[in-house]
Amino acid sequence: MWRKILVGHDGSEGAKKALSVAVSLASQFGAELHSISVEEKLPHYAATVGEVLESKQEAADYFRKITAEAQQSARASGVTMHSHVMPGHEVETIVTFAKDHGFDLLVIGFMGHSKIFGRIWGSTSQNLTKLSPCTVLVVK
Amino acid sequence: MELTWEIAAVWIGLALAATLISIRIGVSVALVEIVVGTVGGNLLDLRLTPWINFLAGFGSIMLTFLAGAEIDLQVMKAKWRETLSIGFASFLMPFLGAGAFAYWVAGWSVEASQIAGIALSTTSVAVVYAVMVERGYNETEFGQMILAACFITDLGTVLALGFLFADYDWHMVAFGVGTGLALWLLPRVTPWFFSKVGSRISEPETKFLLLVLFTLGGLAQAAKSEAVLPAYLVGMVLAPLFLANKTLAQRMRAIAFTILTPFYFLKAGALVGWGAILNSVGLIGIFLGVKVVAKFVGVWPLTHAFRFGQREGMYLTLLMSTGLTFGTISALYGLSNRYITEEQYAVLVTAVILSAVVPTLIAERWFDPGSRPGEEILTRRRSDR
Repeated sequence: MWRKILVGHDGSEGAKKALSVAVSLASQFGAELHSISVEEKLPHYAATVGEVLESKQEAADYFRKITAEAQQSARASGVTMHSHVMPGHEVETIVTFAKDHGFDLLVIGFMGHSKIFGRIWGSTSQNLTKLSPCTVLVVK
Repeated sequence: MELTWEIAAVWIGLALAATLISIRIGVSVALVEIVVGTVGGNLLDLRLTPWINFLAGFGSIMLTFLAGAEIDLQVMKAKWRETLSIGFASFLMPFLGAGAFAYWVAGWSVEASQIAGIALSTTSVAVVYAVMVERGYNETEFGQMILAACFITDLGTVLALGFLFADYDWHMVAFGVGTGLALWLLPRVTPWFFSKVGSRISEPETKFLLLVLFTLGGLAQAAKSEAVLPAYLVGMVLAPLFLANKTLAQRMRAIAFTILTPFYFLKAGALVGWGAILNSVGLIGIFLGVKVVAKFVGVWPLTHAFRFGQREGMYLTLLMSTGLTFGTISALYGLSNRYITEEQYAVLVTAVILSAVVPTLIAERWFDPGSRPGEEILTRRRSDR
């Protein structure tokens, strides 16, 4: 049923649950599995380029670690996972990546924000569900 | 008796609070420190002692040195025509425009108008760089050219700050000769010295660089110039060494961001009176508008001359309208040397802070060229290095 699955992975508990479901779906349907992690915490309005560089390095180290863990967990289930780490806004980057690479399923973890935040801005999972070009599975 | 440790605890407490807020909201610690500094200055009666002034001044020297050391000279050489013309126009037009507005319309003195022109002529390389990285443009020719042009603009700013208010006597000759010699010798002597002493816990490399910065700063001060000028130039000539020696760059950043720049940015904020801001809201808005319009006059036509697309041209011009570190350094220099009043300082620093935020938001929201390179291209470019 699914040929190409993309899972959003930021290392959170929700993302780990989403990863586990995505791995089992990829294994069940023999689908190609990709993970995407978005570096969006660069400091805005920095004083020196170095401040941005070091934040980027910290983010890269963090994503390298969680990506290695995710790949190991996929391998343990006999699935090969291709991982991508990209800078940018989370929703915009994942939607564009899913569109550009023709995924037919996007698996994401549920991220709870406060009620006020959710009402005003919509949560990341809500926005991804709304804007994604393919079917979205939100794992709780 | 001065309560040194009590004062130090208050300042470092504010620096820690600013750091925690910046981590929470994802905004640069520098900007948050300025804002926290205004709270401290207006509500807590933050005291400025000679040693705080020293640490703040040291912080501004380190900031300009690190800014100079981040220049990629290769890109500047490869695209020198575009880089030089856009960077120079981006400095000159706001310098003249804001200076003229301050003098003829706002009725400021000649010196105060010059400070206004310098403070609003800047472009924040770091603000631009963060946007570039997030959008992936820092890997493109377009993005690298913008960054190189920003360095030229800041060079114009430090040159103006260093020479406009200087005394032209034998002190200036000594400063000129000393700086010239240092700039000529440092690219040869520094790698040799570093290879001789090696990287040690006693930090001979850092101490050597600080000796150079303080000596040239002393010569600059004697000539009534500004210590940030030689710091930026020394950073520039040592940039290839810093690009190759990431550990040294990291150590110097750690020193600067732990105990020096917090004092600088907190002080810059603490001197901004809320009353002065409230009394001059209109003037602040106009100064911001003058800066952005002048950047458009200088930069936008050149983007057409160099055949940038419509959106790319607008995006580039708006990003070149940002400013933060060099703007506050210029305003603080003006206040410390009594070229501007506290009210004028509050107006300039607020306009500078707004210029870090407003043009970036407009550029990202409405004029993003949307030509972000694909991940495969980025990966290939990274592996080519």
